[in-house]
Amino acid sequence: MEGITFDLVVLQLFTGLALGAIYVLLALGMSLLFGMLTVVNFAHGAFYMLGAYVGIVLLGIGFNFWLCLLFVPLVVGSIGLLTERFLIRRLYGRGIDYPLLLTFGLSYIMVELVRIVFGTTGLQFDTPDALVGASDIGIGYFPTYRLFVIAITFVVLALLWLFLERTPYGLIIRAGARDPQIVRILGIDVARVWLVVFGIGTGLAALAGLLAAPLQGASPEMGNSILAEAFVVTVVGGMGSLLGAIIAGLLVGVVVAMTSLFAPEMAQVSIFALMAIVLLIRPQGFFGRAGLMS
Amino acid sequence: MNDVILRTEAVGKNFGKFCALSDITASFPRGALTSIIGPNGAGKSTYFNLISGAFPPSAGKIVFEDRDITGTAQHHYAKLGIAKSFQITTVFPQISTLENVRIAVQALVSRYNIWRPRATMPELVEKAGELLNIVGLWNRRDRIAGTLAHGEQRALEIAMALASRPRLLLLDEPTAGMSPEETRAMMELIVKLAGERTVILVEHKMKLVMGISDRLLVLHHGELLAEGTPDEIRRNETVKRVYLGQREH
Amino acid sequence: MLPQAFVATCKRHRVVLSIAFLIIFPLLMPFKAIAVNILIYGLFALGFNLMFGTLGLLSFGHAALFGGGAYACGIAIVHYGAPWWAGVLGGTIGGMCIAALIGALAIRTRGIYFAMVTLALSQCVYFVAYQATAWTGGENGLRGIELTRISAFGLSINFVDPLTRYYVVAAFVALALFALSRILASPFGAVLEAVRENEARARACGYDVRATRFMAFVISGGFCGLAGALQALHLSIVPIETLYYQTSGLVVMMALLGGMGTFFGPFIGAGVFLLLENLVSLWTVHWQLFVGAAFVACVLFFPRGIWGTLLMGRAR
Repeated sequence: MEGITFDLVVLQLFTGLALGAIYVLLALGMSLLFGMLTVVNFAHGAFYMLGAYVGIVLLGIGFNFWLCLLFVPLVVGSIGLLTERFLIRRLYGRGIDYPLLLTFGLSYIMVELVRIVFGTTGLQFDTPDALVGASDIGIGYFPTYRLFVIAITFVVLALLWLFLERTPYGLIIRAGARDPQIVRILGIDVARVWLVVFGIGTGLAALAGLLAAPLQGASPEMGNSILAEAFVVTVVGGMGSLLGAIIAGLLVGVVVAMTSLFAPEMAQVSIFALMAIVLLIRPQGFFGRAGLMS
Repeated sequence: MNDVILRTEAVGKNFGKFCALSDITASFPRGALTSIIGPNGAGKSTYFNLISGAFPPSAGKIVFEDRDITGTAQHHYAKLGIAKSFQITTVFPQISTLENVRIAVQALVSRYNIWRPRATMPELVEKAGELLNIVGLWNRRDRIAGTLAHGEQRALEIAMALASRPRLLLLDEPTAGMSPEETRAMMELIVKLAGERTVILVEHKMKLVMGISDRLLVLHHGELLAEGTPDEIRRNETVKRVYLGQREH
Repeated sequence: MLPQAFVATCKRHRVVLSIAFLIIFPLLMPFKAIAVNILIYGLFALGFNLMFGTLGLLSFGHAALFGGGAYACGIAIVHYGAPWWAGVLGGTIGGMCIAALIGALAIRTRGIYFAMVTLALSQCVYFVAYQATAWTGGENGLRGIELTRISAFGLSINFVDPLTRYYVVAAFVALALFALSRILASPFGAVLEAVRENEARARACGYDVRATRFMAFVISGGFCGLAGALQALHLSIVPIETLYYQTSGLVVMMALLGGMGTFFGPFIGAGVFLLLENLVSLWTVHWQLFVGAAFVACVLFFPRGIWGTLLMGRAR
């Protein structure tokens, strides 16, 4: 292992955390949707991709990156709301596989529409000026933008936590994630809650896509591979568990970053190896309820 | 009746921090009809699930015919000679009544054969027909199971349970949700079945089982409150206080 | 929708009818290659449907079984100079082996998790194949499965001729159809339905639900592996995309379109899908838009699929 110093490993750890932050945002949305609606959103990757492209559009009409951080989740979240209201809602009670199949079909439509509008080749997405370059983090220089990704993720987590813990909506969502039956029995207008949850889930995916765009550019297919990776994170963390999504997301990010350092060709496979190990030892994931999975 | 078919030694079950059942030591004589009774939340269903193998106990031992079966996987129970009916009706809803029982009968004979046509195994159908006769569903044999009346589905479940020729039959509230006529028919069926094998019955309506049981087990707050013949239980002061004192539903 | 007597007759003689249909089918198609494609994807969908339609488990990892079969066949022929029939056999076994590997892990989960875990594991297979360039050709795909003549039973047949090629593939498909209909009519076939209908009851009856699922997955892998092997022979190349999860989505779509609870549905779904794809791609490159729209429409308005709707109103 020549040339691999301790500092390099620590820097790579940060790279992993930045990547993990993106996973966390994706998996949080996915876990929310599953916990509350028992919908596995196969279009989650497409919403992620949409986040990047809506960002491009907004930047094109004069928004700056900071406004994008606010408006991209709002715009894509609204598309998510419409999806829930007009498509997915018809499927509740018709078997757990149907929303899954529907969202899978939807992802085809979204990807193809983006191809029609923006072309099939990927687009570059410039890092915002204020975040270009590297910052000294004590042990070496680290890209400022990646630090920003980690920071903004923690801000979003804090906001989400406040929303879930301190608002009446949040209370219902938490109760629903634990036991959907109870919420139904309490006679709460679940339809509205579900709508909001779908908006939040897809909004988070869009934010993840926007944050990832300066790192890897935007392409219509960018959501395809990451969908499988988001599944891994949700399975490892435990379906429906928000804490699980956070911890597993960061863990998967770090595992990918570390294998890229030591055995680059194994980086992609390592994610799935991690899932295989977790499935063997603890099929319900870190924080999943036993019995849900097997 | 000294011969014990099933006994539990200090079994308990916790769900997380919640203790649903603790330290139940009891034995069930062979050939008898034993009823497990107790008010709602007494731990009857948990106890039933432990002895029927739905999940393993957190503590203690379950012994069937002098063999420790603690933690045995559910699908081995049929072969051991234990069969059960569930509290919530569970049949194969989109399959015909006869085929429901035929599948249950087939479990003893062939589970993984992928080549032999089922049509060459008419003895299974015959056996299934006999079982439907016993529970009084022969004239319903071609109906899709999910379209049967509630009481009929419960009877079908019992026919399926009988398919494995069990020496011990476990029934979890077999009359739940039934009309008075259906209840009467079911109780008659249970008495008939108990004549030929050991039956353990979980029931929450005490009156229903007092007359037919050989023995009773009373659970309360996850503990064994009393056991004995119906007469002994009727006279038991503690039972009277905690159970009979309540209004029966 | 169809007269009951007609359906009953069809059902009784389904093997004979299928074979008759397989014989005249290519004459009805605009060109022979699409007929071969329909057969191969139809077989793939049939294998997939054993899990989804019969057992009720939605797998999103069948690309790995299909692709695994294709690669196993291709590798046997290209790297080991195996005869064509050994390639087909190797593909079938390859599909079963990959199914056993994925199944051993995925079977620990159920319902919706099964879909997610199979998808993730099949992506793992994709990335492994992507990296193992020496064996698989990596992103360029596995090339060099040139097969101009095949010999069987002392006969040497020209495999380049589209119609001959069709009948060779059709022979395997007919065999597979026969095997599948035997399996569905076997005791094990009844257990599959029992597990789909009610897991807890199946267990109480004495069936090992996990073992049943695992076995079904491996059998399904055999059918899909065979389809993959035929695909490799047909295309003379195994593109890496064969393993990508979109291929799994494709087969789900075909089964759904045709009617997943039925025997022939998946085949009909594959046929309709490929013919439509062919038509639409004549006038737009964005045919995937229509794939997605068809998917959504199927789920919303047409959950029984084409064949399922035709058979509707009849007790199963």
